[in-house]
Amino acid sequence: MAPRISRRDALAGIGLAVGSAGCAGRARNLAGRDGSSQLVLEIRTTPADEDPHGIRIARALAENLTAVGVDARVETMNVADLHRTVLLNHDFDVYVGQYTEVLPFDPDELYGLIHSRFAAEPGWQNPFGFTDLETDEHLEAQRASGRADRRAVVADLLTDVCEKQPFTVVAFPDALAAARTDRFVGWERGPPVSATGLLGMEHVDGGRADGEPVALRLVTTDGRISENWNPIAAEYRRYGTFMSILYDRLAVVDDGTAIPWLARGWEWHDPETLAVELRSSTWHDGEPVTASDVAFTYAFLRDTSMGNAETPVPAPQFRGRGSIVESATAVDDSTVRLRIGDVGADVATRALRVPVLPEHVWSDRAEMATVGGFEFDVETTEALVTPNEEPVGSGPVRFVEATPGERVVFERTPGHFLARAGSPAADDGSNGSPAGDDGREGIPDAYLGTPSFDRLEVSVVGSDVEAVQWVADGHADGTVSNLGPDSVPRIGREEDVRLVSTRSAAFYYVGYNARRAPLSNPRFRGIVASLVDKAAVVDDAFAGHARPASTPLSTSPEWVPEALRWDADDGDPIHPFRGEDGTLDVAATRDALREIGYRFDESDRLLARDQ
Amino acid sequence: MSPLLSIVTSVLLWVAAMCLVAGVAIVGPRGLYGVGEHLGPYLRESRREVAALFAVLLVSGIGRPALQSVSEVFGLRLTGAILALEGGFVAWLQGTFHSPELTLYFSSVYVYGYAFLLVFPFIAYAALPESTTLKRLIVAYTLNYALGLVLYTVVLAYGPRNVMPDAVTSLLYTFNPNFQTLTGEVNVETNVFPSLHTSLSVTVAAFAALTRGEYPAWTALAWWIAGSVVVSTMYLGIHWLTDVVFGTALALGCVYAACRYVDPDGRGSEATGGDPDDAKARG
Repeated sequence: MAPRISRRDALAGIGLAVGSAGCAGRARNLAGRDGSSQLVLEIRTTPADEDPHGIRIARALAENLTAVGVDARVETMNVADLHRTVLLNHDFDVYVGQYTEVLPFDPDELYGLIHSRFAAEPGWQNPFGFTDLETDEHLEAQRASGRADRRAVVADLLTDVCEKQPFTVVAFPDALAAARTDRFVGWERGPPVSATGLLGMEHVDGGRADGEPVALRLVTTDGRISENWNPIAAEYRRYGTFMSILYDRLAVVDDGTAIPWLARGWEWHDPETLAVELRSSTWHDGEPVTASDVAFTYAFLRDTSMGNAETPVPAPQFRGRGSIVESATAVDDSTVRLRIGDVGADVATRALRVPVLPEHVWSDRAEMATVGGFEFDVETTEALVTPNEEPVGSGPVRFVEATPGERVVFERTPGHFLARAGSPAADDGSNGSPAGDDGREGIPDAYLGTPSFDRLEVSVVGSDVEAVQWVADGHADGTVSNLGPDSVPRIGREEDVRLVSTRSAAFYYVGYNARRAPLSNPRFRGIVASLVDKAAVVDDAFAGHARPASTPLSTSPEWVPEALRWDADDGDPIHPFRGEDGTLDVAATRDALREIGYRFDESDRLLARDQ
Repeated sequence: MSPLLSIVTSVLLWVAAMCLVAGVAIVGPRGLYGVGEHLGPYLRESRREVAALFAVLLVSGIGRPALQSVSEVFGLRLTGAILALEGGFVAWLQGTFHSPELTLYFSSVYVYGYAFLLVFPFIAYAALPESTTLKRLIVAYTLNYALGLVLYTVVLAYGPRNVMPDAVTSLLYTFNPNFQTLTGEVNVETNVFPSLHTSLSVTVAAFAALTRGEYPAWTALAWWIAGSVVVSTMYLGIHWLTDVVFGTALALGCVYAACRYVDPDGRGSEATGGDPDDAKARG
């Protein structure tokens, strides 16, 4: 002991001696500080071939960031890659993407997107790493509140979100499709990228040979559907259109209201428990769909390892709505009780909109994922990485075959409850009445007997321009991926092709990684938001086929308070563009940045702490 | 007829027609007779080289999805770096010279002219009395593809039309969207570095220079088409200038290596009229 103490004393003595000279201490104080250099922000998005809009938004934002003094770089990557780095690995600064809902949605959608309880989970739940106590409170309050006071609570929530900008809503594009009407009509009934839109498509007899199966032929630039059919793999799903007709959900949304689908109906067992009665239905492999499959699904979304891992491995999708259900219990073969907790009735039905998975297929996938027998990542289960070849769902179409990168074929499921014999009940209670029980009660007439095609063929092409050409040449009936400024004008020049435009809730947004400075600063995000010239973007990137927006709920305007609505003259009510007529006011933006504490060097570069 | 089949048929017909015309005009009827006589023995003689070329093409055809996955996970993402390096050169090129006539010209050259450029040397060099040049050509093609495949896997980059659609139009595909069906079969959009269109065209041009004694007309034609292909890759918004520069370097290196590998002592060089260093110096 003694020698050590004496050595320490000696060192202290030397330190004191040097320190008293004054010089070393000063040197430490100076050299020990981390320096500053120009702020570098990388904006990730998809290349123009895959999506014509995102890259244009990213370029416009990068240009304005550069003008202000940020070293802004745009990096393109395919959408599976983008989702992998952004949603799963949280490895990004800024990205431009499109949201996954095409139909107007409930404010509770934001719960999964920005609640801090999901900040550490990979997937669509809080990819931004946004954490804010006040926002959490609003999110929980809107879940718990009854119909009467929910509107006011949601208004507070939206105001809070608009101010803090965990992400910046840019615009709501119209869901555009190039379509032929010589074989199928009904394109305008709903976005063809929605399950209800696809089911609503009607076949017109165009002199086809008898006995030939009727095929609806779609064309897309998104090749992922030809490679992967895992309904919970976030990096491979866009809107989940094809997944939602492969995998039935307990309820689907039709014209804004939840209608019973795989569920025959539901009722409150007690104020905190929903009793759901299932229709009789079978999986595509012939096994019956049971209440225990439903109970399994909710447990599985919460922890895809089913308790095998030390900590739960949640599904990267459907966590927001899945988290409404605290526990699910099968009472008998066709009844399942969902313990909902303190949640309002409107939000509760959102819990019914998750794809029901067959327990006999997915329970084997609860083990840890391995490659060649090695576990790579203790937080990943087989369920998250399986491409789910030969998917077994219970939906109105089933998988037939696929060639990766080229095409995928589905066919109508024989015996699905939509297709069962019996004409639509014309006069008596087609909506929710238990009378006339042919196993289809509660389903609107429009869906009875659907789909009207025997086969659904989806071909993958290189770009939106090529997709339009396929429709023009008669190789496809319609497009189901985004159409940009290069392809939309072509539709008018082709005789047999029509431009179909429907409203969509799939907004484009700029996402920020709030885990990284300075994007962790809501004031800084607010200034970045004000560099997005939404009106100009709508003109340039969308050729006018979009509406600029200030909130994620712009297609559900009943929720948006007056003060937050997009103003035709003044633009964004909270973070208006800093400039006029597409020209950024650089000096004013720099002043705003200085005001919130940022500095510039002599060449007007925005400085940030070295990371 | 499927979109792919119709475009492939059209390319085959055009290339066959061009080869026929060029064959008669450049090689001459008598020379063409020699092709029938030599091609079999020459290819038999170069069976190792031919086998290597097919092996590389096979790996490229079958292994591409796997290599693409490797590239996505481990590859260097250089799009941003290339853009920072050369800025808006391609945008300037397209913006300055864009006209419907040029688009028609460069699109045709990019698809039909390029295919002709790659195929015709087989005919021309099979007509020569010695197999050396044909063998060197096959080796140079093989090296181009093999190194191209390696670089594609190591580097992940998107071309200008994908990265700056506001400034660079995807002229080839807006001119004829069906061309994308064809190119989509041959390659993927992340494989822009280096430009194989450039490297193979420059390879053919270098060989044309080496054989200027035998086919002076072909030298001029090959240089014209190769030059046009190189410009078209940028004019059409497909490649960066950087890709073109590296593609040219790759081509010259491959031609040099092929000349060193096949008949390095130049025993047959009187017939083909060039020594290895020539290619490097002239390219």
